[in-house]
Parts: sequence; structure tokens; C-alpha cells
Amino acid sequence: MLSSYRKSYIPAAPLAVFRIAFGVLILASVVRFWAKGWIAELYLQPRFFFPYYGLEFIRPLGPYTYGLFALCGVCALLVALGWHYRVAAAGLFISFTYIELMDKSTYLNHYYFVSLAALLLVLLPAGGYFSLDARRQPERAHTHVPRWTLDALRLLVGIVYFYAGLAKLNSDWLLAAQPLRIWLPAKNDLPLVGFLFSYPITAFVFSWFGAFYDLTVPFFLLNRITRPYAYAAVVVFHVLTAILFPIGMFPYVMIVAALVFFPPEWHERLLERVRRVLGRPLAAGRAVVPLVYRPRVQRTLLAGLGLFFVVQLLVPFRYALYPRELFWTEEGYRFSWRVMLMEKMGQVQFKVVDSATGRARLVNNAEHLSVLQEKMMATQADMILQFAHYLRDYYARQGVHQPQIYADTYVSLNGRLGKAYIDPTVDLARQSESFAPKPWILPFDDEITGL
Amino acid sequence: MRKSILLFSLSVVLAAGGVSSCKDVIEGPESSAGGTSDLDRKALLTQWADTLVIPAYKGFGSKLTALKGQTTAFTAAPTASGLQALRQSWREAYVEWQRVEAFEFGPAASVSLANRFNIYPTDAAGIRQNIASGSYNLELATAVPQQGFPALDFLLNGIAADDNAIVQSYVAAPNQRRYLSDVVNTMDQLLTSVQAQWNGPYRATFISGTGTSAGGSLSLLVNAYARYYEQALRSGKVGIPAGVMTGAAAPNKMEAYYHRGALPLQLAQVAHTTVQRLFSGRAGQPSLKSYVDALGAKDSRTGEPLSQLINAQFDVSARQLASLGPDLHTTLQTRPAAAVLSYNEMQKAVRLLKVDMTSAMSVSITYIDNDGD
Repeated sequence: MLSSYRKSYIPAAPLAVFRIAFGVLILASVVRFWAKGWIAELYLQPRFFFPYYGLEFIRPLGPYTYGLFALCGVCALLVALGWHYRVAAAGLFISFTYIELMDKSTYLNHYYFVSLAALLLVLLPAGGYFSLDARRQPERAHTHVPRWTLDALRLLVGIVYFYAGLAKLNSDWLLAAQPLRIWLPAKNDLPLVGFLFSYPITAFVFSWFGAFYDLTVPFFLLNRITRPYAYAAVVVFHVLTAILFPIGMFPYVMIVAALVFFPPEWHERLLERVRRVLGRPLAAGRAVVPLVYRPRVQRTLLAGLGLFFVVQLLVPFRYALYPRELFWTEEGYRFSWRVMLMEKMGQVQFKVVDSATGRARLVNNAEHLSVLQEKMMATQADMILQFAHYLRDYYARQGVHQPQIYADTYVSLNGRLGKAYIDPTVDLARQSESFAPKPWILPFDDEITGL
Repeated sequence: MRKSILLFSLSVVLAAGGVSSCKDVIEGPESSAGGTSDLDRKALLTQWADTLVIPAYKGFGSKLTALKGQTTAFTAAPTASGLQALRQSWREAYVEWQRVEAFEFGPAASVSLANRFNIYPTDAAGIRQNIASGSYNLELATAVPQQGFPALDFLLNGIAADDNAIVQSYVAAPNQRRYLSDVVNTMDQLLTSVQAQWNGPYRATFISGTGTSAGGSLSLLVNAYARYYEQALRSGKVGIPAGVMTGAAAPNKMEAYYHRGALPLQLAQVAHTTVQRLFSGRAGQPSLKSYVDALGAKDSRTGEPLSQLINAQFDVSARQLASLGPDLHTTLQTRPAAAVLSYNEMQKAVRLLKVDMTSAMSVSITYIDNDGD
């Protein structure tokens, strides 16, 4: 059965549709980001950036950062057109991932999704059909691809939804309707439905529906009977989140990504319609040209995909290796499809002590960080440590002898009254980053049960 | 978090039934006082515009007009009694300024009113140079610390050794008379433009901006309010002169430094009282307090409402501030630790405002995409 699965073929249209829609959306994202002035605001103006542990060499490139975004946009366009597809997809994956990793404070789950999808596109044969490459080199074009190529995309999208649903199975989300109970009343001025958001029951309905939706929608999208309703739910759900929350392109990315669950014939019909609009010859009745991998290539690809998905399935559960509350310490929080789960706000006051004189001074964070960086840093221990190290080096250059750095912190999580977050007696200048649990994060003193 | 998955599943099942019978969930917002109308941001903004902002600017405007009148009289014929009268009107206007300084959003923010009116320590050397050369442009960024109330503090209290010498310096130097008039007239023009905006188109813009994104009126207001308490009041009036930032007290960085006496502490206290009043508003009317109450924000461990915690902390920090009297300058020199304590109490209130209140209200400080902290 497995071998017959490996030998089953489907039309190449779904991969082509995904490739085009994905490329266009990323191009739009880059243009939007640029037009809003965020390249300068986020990557040129700040004096300090928060790199990822072990990836400290990935930093903004000064004015060349614009070139990086331009490269990313061009690659996205080339992917959409299917022109020099493989190189363009690799360029898109590398440039987008580099941008994503330049500063932790801009971390978004959908950037991570884009990176992963771009990586899959590098491996998958999405450029051989309905593409400029296929027109330029008809001998390398194909009309059909192995079934597993589409299923890889489906699995990735399915994981995003299902894991986002699993992450909602916790007591704050289901039993306290947090953080929606905080976020929804802030939107009660919306026309027509806004008044509903003043009532806590609405937050409960949204929370429970949201968890149910995330856990089940991939399966409902796979089923022929439920698919139209499921996709309608996808559109309504994501449009609603786009209206309610400042989550940028995420809703549109997911609305498009969910199309991979539609049957290949649906995509075929869609492309025929596009051909008609473009005045291109229709594909109906053309010869079937399957893409047949050499066995060794296919084995390598399948092994690579297998490894990719094992990692995908395991990484979100790495938090289980840490002893304390995930939402509080955020050890193992990122790259796990934990979306819209926390209303977390904090304030940090750093104290710099001269080891020779004992003289203490306080730091004005805003002199070193952007508004976004300061907001993000204030609730995430690894970023507090990174900034403390930056302050240590900064004040050492200012003539402070072996600066000691202490953080007086205050963090509130999902409507709980704020409390101290970092041990104020620990000299952060002497602590180092690692994947080990951070003992200087103070206890949460509360419990959130669930996954 | 994952210790008790079984227990958790059980409680989910129970809660599924329980939620629908839970009283506060069904009956709406948790406020004991009212219904969803307490979450009406338009009513809150209207209340702010009509009973807090516009009347306060009006009150300050009349004091500034009086200051302008005394300035005209004094520069026409500088005398000792004229100086006394001018100083009195300056003190009164400075006190009244503390009632509007927190409104640094909308029209005030677009002209940087607080910077133009109250950046201290003032640049005394720059002022002397401006007077000597007779050529200056108060619109320039470099001229910001050479104008406003702190510049007047220097011009009326510190430019010469005693009152007699001060009067004589104005008699002798037409440029100095002109500089005094220019500083006061600039303040008058700035305030007039801000008031015109509030009395004109901005009021409607403000009360219809009911969103909570970074440009929404409640976001502008709450962020300006919390920032004012943190930066202008906690740091500016107390922390920086007490030396908390640098480790060494710096009384010369206090407000109304050249005047000294009881005035500096009076200014800080009026500012603090204003912050408290802006929070609680008028009894029975929409206010930040009633809004926070309607949101049901509370300490989940004790059940104590957030608004009560904020007001209690305000009271503590107001008491600590009052203990710095009667002369803040003397206190900073003889017992700066008391001022540091005052700063620390204010810092506790800052956190309740900037973290707990802002979070409960879900107002944004930036437009940049965010998928949930």
C-alpha cells in the first residue's frame, strides 16, 4: 500500500496554484512592510538587535537591508512566475529566513510558516507546470506530480492548525477565556457586532470555537462533503481575526494556504479559467506527462521530508523539557504555533552598579531600544538577558568598572496582576545564555493547566 | 503546566456545563455599578474632552493671559513692585500649568507643548547669549531649553543677585525686556493654537476615535497619561534631582530651581493631585476608573479591584511626596534618601498604570504586527 502511494500521481495544478498565490502574497508582504517604513524603523534605526541564540551572526545589514528586502521581493515574484524556479525558491527561503532571524522582537508565527513553506517549495516540483520555466523548456515540463508532493504541503498546513489548536487546550484559554476576554472589549466599537464584545460570554464562545476550529479544520477541509463549509469557516474566521487583531498578513496567508486541501481537479479548473482570461491555449486534452523521479532522488526527497516533519512534530513539544510554566518563562515558546495565546505586558528597570565604587545608576531603556523592542524585551527572559549584556558592554565602554546589571521587573500575564519576573539580586552581567532553564526567573506562583 | 492533564480534562468537561450557568458570564460586564455602558469609549472620551481637557486649558489660559498682562506692564516700566506682581502671576500660571501638562496628545503633542513650556534645567548660558546678541529663534530645537516656565524662572529669579539688581538689569537692557516678552508671547501663541484645536475640529476627531489601536484616542490618552506620570512627574520632578538615574543628587535639575522655597514641591504636588483626579474623574461619570472597573480588572488572588490598588498607591506616593516639604531644594541636599523613597512609591504606581491598566484596557503602543506577545 505504501509503495502504491509512492507511485500514485495527481495533476500538478495544486502545486502551481500554491506557488503563484504564495509568491504573490510574500511580494505583497514585502511591499507592505517597506511602504510602512518598517525596514528603517525596525532594522536601521535601533542601536541594538536581539539575535537568536547560536545565530548571532544574523544581523541587519545597515542600508543594504533594503537590498535584502528587494531580493526577497524579487525572488517571491520569480517564484510566482515560475521563472528560474529552483534558484528563486532557494533565494526566497534564504532571504526571508534571514530577515526573520535578524531581530527576535519582530518574531511572528506566520513568518516562521512562510520560511517553512518556502523551504518545502525549494524541494517540491512546483515550478514545472503553469510557469515560465515550463514554457521556456517544454522538455522539462510536466502535468502530473507524485501525490506525496502535495500531501507534504497539506501536512505542513495541517500541523499549523492542529498544533495551534492543541496550544489552546489550557485553562487560561478555555476556563478563563483569556486573553480574548481582555482583547474583545477593546473592539466593542465595531459596527453591528461590536456591542457583543463587551460581554464575557462572547470571549468564551470565541475561545471554545477557536480551539475547536483549529483542531478540526484540516480534517473538515479534507472531506469532500464538509469542505465548502470548512473553507467558508476559514474565510470568516481569518477575516474576523484580521479585523480584530493587528496580525498583519497572517489571515490572508492562511486563507490561501488552506486551498491546498482542495482536490487537484478544482485547481485544474481554476487554472483553466485563468488560461481563458489570459487568452492562453487550454490544457484540456493535452498529453499526460508525469514527473518521474529517479528512485534515488525520490528516496532522498522522501527521507528529507520525513526528517523535516519529524522535527516539525517534535519541536513544539520541546517546552516539556523545561520544568516551569511555559507562558511565564517562555522557554520553548517560539516556533510552536502558539498564536494569540497571551496578553503579556511588562516593565523593566535596569540598574548598573560600578564594581569598584558601588555607585548605582538607572537605565533609560528608550535611549537604546525602539518602542517595539522595549515592549517585547520586558516580558521575555532571554531578551532581558541579551539587553543586560549589551548594557554591561555599553557601560564598560563608558568607564564603569566591571558593571553589574540588575533588573527590576514587573510582568502581568493574561489579566493577572503584575509581579516580579526576574530575581532582582542576580547580576545578569554574569549570567550566560543557554538552552538550560533559567534559574533566575522568579516563580509564577500560579498554575495554568493543560497542554 | 502539564502536570495534571487528567485533572484538567475533567475540569474542562465540568466547566463546559458550568460556563453557561456562571452568573457574571451571562449577565455581562463585572462592574457592580453599571452595565456595558461603562465600556462606552465614546462617552469616556467625551467626558475627558468636555470636563477635563477643555476646561483645564481654559483655566490655564486665563492665568497665562494674566502673566502676559503683567509682562507687558513690567517691560514697559520695570519696577520692584512690577517684578513682584509679575512673579506672582508667573507662580500662578506655573501651578495652573501642572493641571494641563499631562494632556500631551493630539494638538499639544503636535506642537510638543510640554517641551516648549517646561523643559528644565533651563539653559541659562544660552538665554544670556540670546539676550546679548538679540538674535534668536525660539522655534529651533536648540532653543527648547531657553524658553517656557523654566526660562522665566531664570529671567525673573536668577538673572541677577537680588530683586533690585534684577529690576535694574531690565531697566538697563532693552534686549532683555524683549526676550522676556518674546518668551511669554511664544507661550501664549502656542497655547492659543492648542486651545483653538480643542475648541474646534479636534474635539470631534478625539471623541470619534474610539479604537484601541496605536492611533485610537484612548491609546493616545492612556499612553500620554502613564508617560506623564512616569517621565515628567516621577523622573523629572523627583527622580532626576534626587539622583536616582546617576547615583548623585542634583538639586540644580529641579523644577523652579531659581525660585526655590515652597513652589517646587507645590508644583509636584499639584501635578500629582491632577494625575489622581484624571484617573477617578467625577463621581458617577465615565472615567479611567469606571472603565477599568467595568473591564473587571482585579488582583485575581485577592479579588481587589485594580482601580482600588491604583488609588491606594497614589495615596501612598502622594503622602511620601508631601513629606519632602517644605523646601524641596533643602530636602534634596539634606535628606535625598526621602526623595528616592518618593520616587520608589511613584514607580509602584507607574507599574500599575503602564502594565496592569494598559494591559487590561488592551491599548496598543505601536502599529507593528503582533500575533499575541
